[in-house]
Amino acid sequence: MAYLQMHGITKLYPASGVLANDAVDLSVEENEIHAVIGENGAGKSTLMKLLYGLEQPDAGEIHFRGKHVAIRDPLAANRLGIGMVHQHFKLVPDFTVAENVVLGMEPRKQGLFIDRQSAVKDVTKVIEEHGFSIDPKQKAKDLTVGQMQQVEIVKMLYRNAELLILDEPTSVLTEQEIESLFATLGNLLSRGKTIILITHKLDEVTHMSHRVTVMRGGKVVAVRNTSDVDKRELSRLMVGKDILLQVNRGPTTYGDTVLEMKEISIRCRGQERPLLDRIDLQVRSGELVGIAGVGGNGLAEIEDVIGGLRGATQGSMFLNGVDVTSFSSEQLREAGLAYVPADRLHRGASLPSTVRENCIVTKHHDFLRAGVLQRRDVREFTRHLIDQFSIAASEGMPAGNLSGGNIQKMILARELSGQSNFILFSEPTWGLDIASSQFVYEKMLELRERGAGVLLISSNLDEILGLADTILVLYRGRVVGRLENTDTLSKEIIGEYMLGLRDDSHGPHETNQTEVRRG
Amino acid sequence: MSNSSFPVPMLHSTIRIMAPFLLAALGGLFTELAGMLNIALEGLMLIGAFFSVVFAAATGSLFLGIVLGIAASVAAAYVFGFISLNLRANVFITGLATNLFAEGITVVLAFQIFGNKGVIRFENLARLPVLSIPSLQRIPVLGDILVGHNVLVYVSWIMVVVAAIIIYKTPFGLRIRGTGSNPGAVEAIGLSPKRYRMYAILISGFTCGLAGAILSLQMGAFVPGITAGRGWIALVAIYLGNKTPLGIFIACMVFGFAESFSNYAQGAIDVPADFILSFPYIITVIAMIGFSIVQHYRLKGSDT
Amino acid sequence: MAKQRVAKLLSTATGLILTIAISFAIVILLILVLSDEPGRAIYFFFIGPFTKAYYLGNMLNQSIGLMFTGLGIAVAFKSSTFNLGGEGQAYSGALVATVILLALPNMPGIVGGPAALIGAVVIGAFVAGLSGFFKMRWGTDQLISSFLVSSAVILIVNYFVTGPLDDPTNSMLTTARIAEQYQLLLIFKPSKLDISIFFAVATAIGTYFFMQRSHWGYEMRMCGINREFSKYAGINVGKYLLVPMAISGGFHGLAGGITVMGTHYRCLKGVTAGLGWNGIAVALIAKNNPLAVIPAALFFAYLDAGAKAAMLHADVTFELAKIAQGVIFFLVTAQALYGLFDSKKKRKKVAR
Repeated sequence: MAYLQMHGITKLYPASGVLANDAVDLSVEENEIHAVIGENGAGKSTLMKLLYGLEQPDAGEIHFRGKHVAIRDPLAANRLGIGMVHQHFKLVPDFTVAENVVLGMEPRKQGLFIDRQSAVKDVTKVIEEHGFSIDPKQKAKDLTVGQMQQVEIVKMLYRNAELLILDEPTSVLTEQEIESLFATLGNLLSRGKTIILITHKLDEVTHMSHRVTVMRGGKVVAVRNTSDVDKRELSRLMVGKDILLQVNRGPTTYGDTVLEMKEISIRCRGQERPLLDRIDLQVRSGELVGIAGVGGNGLAEIEDVIGGLRGATQGSMFLNGVDVTSFSSEQLREAGLAYVPADRLHRGASLPSTVRENCIVTKHHDFLRAGVLQRRDVREFTRHLIDQFSIAASEGMPAGNLSGGNIQKMILARELSGQSNFILFSEPTWGLDIASSQFVYEKMLELRERGAGVLLISSNLDEILGLADTILVLYRGRVVGRLENTDTLSKEIIGEYMLGLRDDSHGPHETNQTEVRRG
Repeated sequence: MSNSSFPVPMLHSTIRIMAPFLLAALGGLFTELAGMLNIALEGLMLIGAFFSVVFAAATGSLFLGIVLGIAASVAAAYVFGFISLNLRANVFITGLATNLFAEGITVVLAFQIFGNKGVIRFENLARLPVLSIPSLQRIPVLGDILVGHNVLVYVSWIMVVVAAIIIYKTPFGLRIRGTGSNPGAVEAIGLSPKRYRMYAILISGFTCGLAGAILSLQMGAFVPGITAGRGWIALVAIYLGNKTPLGIFIACMVFGFAESFSNYAQGAIDVPADFILSFPYIITVIAMIGFSIVQHYRLKGSDT
Repeated sequence: MAKQRVAKLLSTATGLILTIAISFAIVILLILVLSDEPGRAIYFFFIGPFTKAYYLGNMLNQSIGLMFTGLGIAVAFKSSTFNLGGEGQAYSGALVATVILLALPNMPGIVGGPAALIGAVVIGAFVAGLSGFFKMRWGTDQLISSFLVSSAVILIVNYFVTGPLDDPTNSMLTTARIAEQYQLLLIFKPSKLDISIFFAVATAIGTYFFMQRSHWGYEMRMCGINREFSKYAGINVGKYLLVPMAISGGFHGLAGGITVMGTHYRCLKGVTAGLGWNGIAVALIAKNNPLAVIPAALFFAYLDAGAKAAMLHADVTFELAKIAQGVIFFLVTAQALYGLFDSKKKRKKVAR
């Protein structure tokens, strides 16, 4: 039997009805680096949470080092020798590196006191053995992101972890930091450790791993020796086959520019890599621009900047020719922004409030007479939206009682009611059923035909390819590809941009794009 | 009162006045570091004050009185913690509840036992022993200020050191601080933030019990509402003291001095006592604002 | 939809009833242990307030201030701002109203009275608004700063009451008495109940409509429920860190002014003591619904009145009320208690 054997693992989230893992098998050999790859929502994080005891599977068994084990909590996982480095670090900012590492397993002197000297000594030993570049006496809050990650790894090694799970370890690192992480992983391997690497970056898989398990839609679709596959095949396995959307994208003519971004960047203190790196973007009326990318590569930040929820640190933005760079969300709304956010349950809707209150939130000023909300007008308006968008709801219901598809319809109804000539859609069909998705697609195309400029931010390639006239691909905060959506463009090509296999911003084109627009 | 001797008794009484503040604030420091606003200090002190003097009178032993007074305060702290943590009630509201409950139960019991809701004197209760070291007392000025207080005053000083050791030198302190700063980090390594919060609350029960005992035993009497807002002052001292034991010591000295000064200044100086008493609050709020301004501009640029 | 509303109401109601039942049980238990005539004590604790017009009137009178401060807290909490400074805000309102009335001894009541109340509202709004401003501008913790400012304000008001404004002809620590025309009409003699109870009830109803129907009320509620949603939708969320605080403070100031004009006719030292803290309890029992503040304030006053009656007619003391109120305070926010009767599925949803 393999070193680690997960068999038939199934996990259903009842609240959302998502079957995150569907009879998943994973087998990892001792002293290998085993990559688990898949797109966002493929189920890899859930699988690791189950392995680390953060959640319990509904079905399935875990065998570790030949024994059937039940992993009730992270402490149990630690005792078995399983350690996890989370994507979001769990450090106490005011503590030193050594304190963070020993927390919960502090060396003592006279039984009562922390033995700081041996804490520092023990931690230094681990640091030196594995060639890390951190000072045990430094405060965690002063570390770079890469160093914080090292602390997390040291924390697990200090707890004698033999099997290390690294969840998207490179998503926040700079190139140099990634290099040093790879060196670390090699070092760990030479010391007999086993590593599970969760990622959606193919470079890492081919560079580092021995074997790879590919997940899609909660299932394992392939297990390969890394030496036997190339990145193109992995990319195909990850994204799956082209699904033709049932949409009819007619020709339009482009008009004036409605939204323009010039060199928009977001840089954070203490982080070398900018979240957004000099983004140029233009949406014309009658044009549907798609922004594709894997989560964590700047999609959310573009949404926040356009929505006025986060300021750019550099660059400028124009809406209908007006410089809106420093506008608040309030001013942006007044300037004509309409926007369907990715987080529809928290940002796009207020679930405890009624459908009525949700529907009028962006334009409640229109319902005031002498400072009083006119209930009849509000009710009529809401009913009108409900009818127009066939939302399965009544106007006085709390929005939280609506299904996901109907919540999205409600948000669409609200955002489209203002007849804006620019509309931003961020992950508009995430988690929706096919009928609701179809509805959203039709609305987007209607807007485009009406002559509005539409910006679609999505990690779903099928919809990008089915809907967009122009496609921008984001990778690590940069636009790496700017593509006309022609017949020759395929999901695989976009996928390769998304996964960093192609980069027009640096290297030359790898394929010849015919500059003909589909008519 | 001659001008030259004026500051000495004032400083002497500063030291006496600050002791209960200090004890309560040190307990509150633990809950604060564990990430909870502890409004209940006032009520816990009141319970400690009542039960310590009553039990001291009943048993005839000051020591037993103090121990039982602390026990009562810790028990009340447990109820406060249980409801806040296990029944998931708002810790701020349950803190207010503790204060209200303490106000009620002490008077109801006093009335029941002594048939009196006013000042209850315990005439034959022993006084708190006073530390008197003639050789030290001979040191000019300092000797007069620092020596000659009751033993609990010195216990409160020792507690500053003990608290500092627990907080900074023991695994327990490390975990308490971790709980407040990032409960997720504590949870991720398999410890229970809830448990450490409960420990912190019980510690605050302990120190508040002792603080209350000072109040009632040095008077040899119980007066309804004897704490008179001292628990709140202790809470403020935690903030003014920047959440460190030494800082709290100094902050409590500021509050003690303000109170002492206002007592002595009446009639002597043309500054109203109430104004003097309000200074520490104003200083604290200004310090808090200053701190948040610094934070504000440090964070600016990285986020909206 | 109606069904879900009813279910939610039921869940809230069962939690409240349970809370109140536990507090009553503890009171009864205490009386049984402590009293030599428990039957009599229990009777007067629960029925006493209704046995004499005097008790009833004073109970209603006591609820007036609680309604105002309860409304103030409800508005603040509903908008997710935190006002811990109610004590100082109410006290400053009492002082400023008194000062204005003492300065205008010969004005007709209909002019001076409202002027005094406006002054009270403004000072309360200012004191509370400070904390709102600090929060809006620099993110200073509202909970602590409002408490600190209020603590300082209480001492400063004490100074005025016992110092420059002290009435030398009166042995109490108090200002002089306000002129007769400013003293609110008593409507249920011999009790102290005055006409302002109608004003309080009307204010509660008005506040309800303000929160539900007005532009500001709507935006405040949206900010209270979900700040990110509000910001996304273009509501000025910064403004609503300040506005609800100021409104809340205004209500507290009003409570102080009314207490002087309706009940004491002078600003005694500590005249409004307890109004701020108890306003929080009232708002919590009312689940921050302005209309529910009316019965919640009455209930809170009833506990006091019951304890007073029990004290006068039996051998227990008034502070029993504080124990009952304390127990209610303890449990009123205990989520575990409120989830008790929810369906299993719903509880899971909350836990996630």
